Amino acid sequence: MHAQTWPETATTQASVLASDWALFTYAGLAVAALVWGLILFAILRWRRRPGGEAGALPPQFRTNNPLEIAWTVAPLLIVCALFVYTYRAEATVEALPPTADATVDVTAYRWGWTFAYAGGPRVDGTAAAPPQLVLPLNETTRLRLTSRDVTHSFWVPDFLFKKDAIPGQVNVFDLRPQRAGTFIGRCAQFCGLDHALMTFSVRVVPAPEYARWARGGAR
Amino acid sequence: MTIGLRLFISSAVFAIGIAVAYWLVAHEITGTFLLGFMAFALSFVAGYMIVAEREADLWADRPDAKPADAAGELVGTYSIRSPLPFGTALAMTCIGLGIAISPTLVALGVIALLSLGVGFILQSR
Amino acid sequence: MSAASAPVAAAASPRNDLLSWLTTTDHKRIGILYLVASLAYFAVAGALALAIRTQLAHPAGTFVGSHEYAQLFTLHGTGMIFLFVAPFAFGLANFLVPLQIGAPDMAFPRLNATSFWLFLFGGMVVFAGTATAEGGAAAGWTSYAPLSEIPVSSGLGQDLWIVGVLLVSVATILTAINVVTTVFIYRAPGMTMWRLPIFTWEMVATSLLVFMAFPTLAADLLLLFVDRHLGGHAFDPARGGSAILYQHLFWFFGHPEVYVMILPYFGVISEIVPVFSRKPIFGYTGLVLAAFAIAGLSMGVWAHHMFTTGAVNNPFFSFVSFLIAVPTGVKFFNWIGTMWRGSLTFPTPMLFAVGFLLNFLLGGVTGVMVASPPIDFHAHDSYFVVAHMHYVLGGGSLFAIFAALFFWWPKMFGYRLREGLGTWCFWLLFVGFNVTFFPMHFMGIDGMARRVYTYADAGALPLLNLIATAGSYLMLAGVLVFAWNVLLSALRHEPAGDDPWQANSLEWATSSPPPEHNFERLPPIRSERPVFDARHPELPTKR
Repeated sequence: MHAQTWPETATTQASVLASDWALFTYAGLAVAALVWGLILFAILRWRRRPGGEAGALPPQFRTNNPLEIAWTVAPLLIVCALFVYTYRAEATVEALPPTADATVDVTAYRWGWTFAYAGGPRVDGTAAAPPQLVLPLNETTRLRLTSRDVTHSFWVPDFLFKKDAIPGQVNVFDLRPQRAGTFIGRCAQFCGLDHALMTFSVRVVPAPEYARWARGGAR
Repeated sequence: MTIGLRLFISSAVFAIGIAVAYWLVAHEITGTFLLGFMAFALSFVAGYMIVAEREADLWADRPDAKPADAAGELVGTYSIRSPLPFGTALAMTCIGLGIAISPTLVALGVIALLSLGVGFILQSR
Repeated sequence: MSAASAPVAAAASPRNDLLSWLTTTDHKRIGILYLVASLAYFAVAGALALAIRTQLAHPAGTFVGSHEYAQLFTLHGTGMIFLFVAPFAFGLANFLVPLQIGAPDMAFPRLNATSFWLFLFGGMVVFAGTATAEGGAAAGWTSYAPLSEIPVSSGLGQDLWIVGVLLVSVATILTAINVVTTVFIYRAPGMTMWRLPIFTWEMVATSLLVFMAFPTLAADLLLLFVDRHLGGHAFDPARGGSAILYQHLFWFFGHPEVYVMILPYFGVISEIVPVFSRKPIFGYTGLVLAAFAIAGLSMGVWAHHMFTTGAVNNPFFSFVSFLIAVPTGVKFFNWIGTMWRGSLTFPTPMLFAVGFLLNFLLGGVTGVMVASPPIDFHAHDSYFVVAHMHYVLGGGSLFAIFAALFFWWPKMFGYRLREGLGTWCFWLLFVGFNVTFFPMHFMGIDGMARRVYTYADAGALPLLNLIATAGSYLMLAGVLVFAWNVLLSALRHEPAGDDPWQANSLEWATSSPPPEHNFERLPPIRSERPVFDARHPELPTKR
């Protein structure tokens, strides 16, 4: 069980999320290179050399209307384009088709997690004995998330995804793993003393193995 | 119309716009109320300023005014030193602390604050 | 209060005893009081940060336990945000705004002083919680309900936090009232609004944000107090309340608050860069419009702090958050345009200004990233966001704070801080800051959550955290060099004169420090840089 350095595509949703990360990272690097480049160029090109003329003033220009309009409109268009991509990516990731292959009720509490599988076992865990969430490979599991006490957050870094567990509210989302393995899960919303210890794991197994496990009853 | 008033009017118009846009897009009552109330508050200030500056003619707003033009005008008086601010802050702190730890402290703080308030008014005369 | 142009008989040196400082209503003294108090809170909150980094240097650190650690990050955040970055800006505004507009003082001098003492006492109340049995507040500077409710956070420390923050909020609102009234009413003849220095404009925009944001915070905290002690259940879902309501009210304040913490510093940069480029500020109108565009839009983005709650319309807030990047970019291009084809020198204020530009840009880029909900689904509540916020507040505001200190120190105290030590201070802070916070982007991507006192001993996390801790100690060295600089310069210095930097705005038209009534004589005001115009009568003025 270990976290990755760069986005991996452990779920189909994560593939979409990773593409959003990639787009914004490249766009951000391009903007940074441009702006840092301009700043460093100006510094190097127009710094006053020692012994340079201290008296003469440089050209005292104050405006350039076409330029100012350009550097307002161009970024506006760029962010609009980024927004369109963002909107579509989010809609894909948060889509909830009419049915799912499996359903799990996830409840967070101070300081552990409970996973109750529809028609299957119920797994409890604590900070000392973190529970494991089992998911079927290449099938969609619908998670229904809430909290018993304060606000927590269900985060699986390898899935590039988290959702808050809020008392009085049920958050529903789908996960469709496309890679088998075991992944770490954390609480990401500060919830008190054992917040840092409130972990869980996610094990993705082939569908037949999942079915056998689910029939096996409570662990 | 002063620049300040234009600022509040445009802020109020923007606030109304974003409140309406938020309601249409999100249908979420808390945010709509917050943005709407903000629009109301800005409109309130703008409305007041429209009335208040009917006869405003500041030397500051004349582009070719010289500093000597406003010489001798008495705009107001103020005291160079005063123990009232320190005392007022102390009284308000007592009220706050008292709310957390002791109703007696709240009472003391309120009495102090009222006395200091009178002091502020007397000192301005 | 008359803005006379005839010379006034020189006043005797103002009294310098304790009583005169406790009873002062002079905006310059109040400004200095703010700077001293906010820097003291910075030292405390900074020490808390060092404790945090010391704990996190190793995955299973034992420097502090979980409850102490929660107090550390709560009071670090509260101290830096409520008691340092914002008050420093208002302190600077207190000193500068009347001078920059040619006024003899603020509109309401006694109210001004009241604000300062209220801020000072409010901060003390917040920290007083640490002396109680259950310790100081430990629910984060955001103090989310239901975590901050009773019985989960039943200590008096949390109540003292609420009271202290309320007192500071009142102080801030009162100062904002003072600033706007002063700028609208007490400008000198010829100082039209479109000739105001950019710093003063930014303070007007900041004050508008304070009006709209802080009352919401006050309401939220009062509701929290009622929930805790007066039988309320506004945030308790089991009894008809809503946990999300707390977040809406908090972030409706919280997001404008971060712009309260950066707009004044955009103003500082806009004052310093023209002086050391020997050119006028480029795109003055664009800068002013951008300030208000940022302020206005910032009121409509609050729920981008709530993307993972599943309770808000993410696309609306994402779109408006993206829009804010546009006026911010305009400002950046204007600052670059000011330097372009200029004659650049790099005394310490300009070093820090350039550091600001380089650091804040990265913070802005990561800000646009987390404004995209798909990215925020991973980054929220991780060290990626910690990196973002510190790049804008630390790499941005903190660097501008040091730039402002070095730039206006001679005006406030009559002598300059030493350049050699200033250069050391800058490089230690610049390198230290980036070594501390750049690795945090990767810690977050790697899956390290915020507000944790221990983390997985896996992958690159231990090494990245150790590097970050080392960087934080470098920053400490930089701050200590600054303190040493202050001490040495205070003991031995040369008078700086009225205008040591060959600067632009009205504060440089009077002595250093200025007399109690600010100006003996005012130059004619025909542009946003009247002192420059007076130095160069051969050049045409443009405004």
